[in-house]
Amino acid sequence: MAKHRGRGIAAIEYPTGMNQNGDPSQAWIKLKMDGRVDVFAGTVDIGQGSKTVHSQIVADTLGVPMDWVTMDTSNTDSSAFCMGTFASRGTFIGGNAVRLAAEKVRNRILEIGGELLEIDPGDLEIIDGEVIAKGSPDKKIGVGDIAGAATFVKGELISGQGTALKDYATLDPETGAVTIPPHSAISYAACAVEVEVDEETGDVRVLKMSQVYDVGCAINPTMVEGQIEGGAIQGLGLGLLENCYPYYPSNDHRGGQFGSYLAPSMEDLPELECIILENPSADGPFGAKAIGEMANNAQPPAIATAIYNAVGVWVTELPITPEKVLRALEAKAAGIPESVTTGKVVRYDEALSITSHQSADAVVTFAV
Amino acid sequence: MKAVGARLPRYDAHEHVSAGTRYVDDVRIPGTLWAKALRSPHDHAEIVSIDTSAAEAMEGVHAVVTYKDVHKNVHGHIEGLGVPGDEPLFAETHVRYKGQPVAAVAADNEALAIRATEAIQVTYKELPSLLDVRKAFDGDAPQVHHWGNWYPHFEGEMDRRQIRKGDIDQAFEQADVIVQGVYRPAAIEHIPMETQVCQVVPEAGGRFVVYSATQAMYFSMGVVAAHLNWPLNKLKFVGGTTGGGFGGKVDSATETITTLLAIKSHRPVRWRWTRMEEFLCSSTRAPWHMEIADAVTKDGWILGRKMLTLHDAGAFARFSPYGVTKHAFHHTGAYTIPNLEFNGYVVYTNRVPTTAMRGFGVTSVSFATETHIERIAQTIGMDPVELRMKNATRLGDTSPNGIPYVDPSTVPVIQAISDAAGVELSAHSRTMTSAMRSGEDLPEHLVAQMGNPEDH
Repeated sequence: MAKHRGRGIAAIEYPTGMNQNGDPSQAWIKLKMDGRVDVFAGTVDIGQGSKTVHSQIVADTLGVPMDWVTMDTSNTDSSAFCMGTFASRGTFIGGNAVRLAAEKVRNRILEIGGELLEIDPGDLEIIDGEVIAKGSPDKKIGVGDIAGAATFVKGELISGQGTALKDYATLDPETGAVTIPPHSAISYAACAVEVEVDEETGDVRVLKMSQVYDVGCAINPTMVEGQIEGGAIQGLGLGLLENCYPYYPSNDHRGGQFGSYLAPSMEDLPELECIILENPSADGPFGAKAIGEMANNAQPPAIATAIYNAVGVWVTELPITPEKVLRALEAKAAGIPESVTTGKVVRYDEALSITSHQSADAVVTFAV
Repeated sequence: MKAVGARLPRYDAHEHVSAGTRYVDDVRIPGTLWAKALRSPHDHAEIVSIDTSAAEAMEGVHAVVTYKDVHKNVHGHIEGLGVPGDEPLFAETHVRYKGQPVAAVAADNEALAIRATEAIQVTYKELPSLLDVRKAFDGDAPQVHHWGNWYPHFEGEMDRRQIRKGDIDQAFEQADVIVQGVYRPAAIEHIPMETQVCQVVPEAGGRFVVYSATQAMYFSMGVVAAHLNWPLNKLKFVGGTTGGGFGGKVDSATETITTLLAIKSHRPVRWRWTRMEEFLCSSTRAPWHMEIADAVTKDGWILGRKMLTLHDAGAFARFSPYGVTKHAFHHTGAYTIPNLEFNGYVVYTNRVPTTAMRGFGVTSVSFATETHIERIAQTIGMDPVELRMKNATRLGDTSPNGIPYVDPSTVPVIQAISDAAGVELSAHSRTMTSAMRSGEDLPEHLVAQMGNPEDH
């Protein structure tokens, strides 16, 4: 029996930020007396690297070296409010909060620097931790000296706060129409997958995944690639392996341990290719859009299509297990057509089951 | 020196892979008690009685809590977004999924805590359970809730999320072909390396410090405060370091119950779910049932889409109404379809509540849309990549909810993936851009849907 190869392509889009907005993130920043920067934000780093990304945003907004910046997201006493790390909002919304706070701090640094240098703040810039007169680079003062002067001479704590918040988008319940964009931005991606399908066992191996992501501008390309690669393997699990209920809708035979729940492991790892396209967003920090959640969305359809192109069967219940592949191949061998045509309607899969359902007339409510 | 755009290492990567990072479970507070939950053994049952007296009398057991100990037992995680609560912290009259918490204990050690949960006597009267979303609407279906088997509180007290755009009947009339398909992605686990875990410590002045693995400290703090009817200054959440979340640690699954046990025992309490609990009792990604019928011309324009989505929420709504709305907003994928009729239901079943997971609401529809578009191409005998390019969202095209796209990238990402995969595009597709439609890219049926991207 033969192994067959096939390729599938899918393209997707994904919104940045909570659906319908209304999800603030806040941050505040203070300078230590040597100019080092403490950022207090509520964005939890769940492993995606938001602390590093936020530090990069603060460093460049202020014009100080990256290693001057410390992110403290450790507790709700000192950190400002953040809606949370979900909805692909950390880099964009959390990032805008720290950017806005850093802009206020930068402006205050320039004002005090202007007083000390006796130069209009508009003629100053901050480069690598020094406030420098534009066009006269010998006229300069360190941000540390400014912070020291503020603390010990002026009696001032240099600080700034920022809130990123987009208005809630109300919708028309009849049509779903909204009056303002219900997202902060939309990211796009496409994925090409090459699979090998074993006709005899139904086993599917993903050999290669190529992926293109438009994430606005990449604040940290290495971590964007980390999201893409990690998401790709989760997408592979969705497409081929994982299922809480192997005989759904029955809830028997649930896997209660790693040995009985198939998640992708290193042996499943295909060759991975990541391509980042940059199409800056208007409102994101330094043109960024989201990458987090979308990263496991394009692979399952690309895998299903690649399997079709390899052996000519559609499996549209995930995951596409060897059992489902073999059953589909058996049906095909038995001459069962993949679709049924009635007039101009071409129907794949089972008959549409519930389209005739109308909303109940009776008012139903949670209230007892 | 620019930091933005630089390939900088993650500040904590080395500590994460060399056991240097201190997670919630690494916090060591002397005198800490172990928490354990008594969970429902049934998919669906009425609770006849709960007797905790034997557990309370055990030496080394310092607190036993049930629904009676919670100021506000039923609190919805997104009540602030207009989604009323339907899930009790502890089951009171009914259990609606296997694994639902009925009571919790705090004891000197883990083994004793397990024995204490076993000493709690609960009498159940089993009820028929509903597991198949397709049967939820049947007249004789088992009832998950007294109000029915689907969520009834979308805006305007609608019992479903709707999208209506354009003239769907005309689109289906004009179509050369109508392509129908059904798509069913499965429930999957989040499988974080760190199971659900929480440590609560009573402090001076009546404050409680909650060491939490939550993905959203303020959000979870709000959940605890709402259940307890406490102002936020009585709580301090310590967190910000999470051993994997993927959406599953937005549920605030441990913090309130652990805090209740700390209040009642006046002791620090830790609750760490076992791997088995993480698999069987923590929320999952939802299974979805999606039916699509697309009105298509034989030269590859998608004129209209009818779609029915049944979202298997499990026993309680949690974030599901939000997820179905997001799903509805994105149910055309990366393409422009001018005429739409979408109906989406949050359907209750007697399984573990489903929740947010990476791609919430959209992962499902990406699978359905992209697989369906392949079948359309196959049905009309057209190259699927060319079909995608033809219908790709362009500047000024409008989304299902009528908002013009301001910086769409469907065209360039398909061009780039075609290059990477060695797919030959037509000359027209090779030179296409995301610019506003004109000429052969702007057929009559796409004129009315267009909006002005400058408006947003």
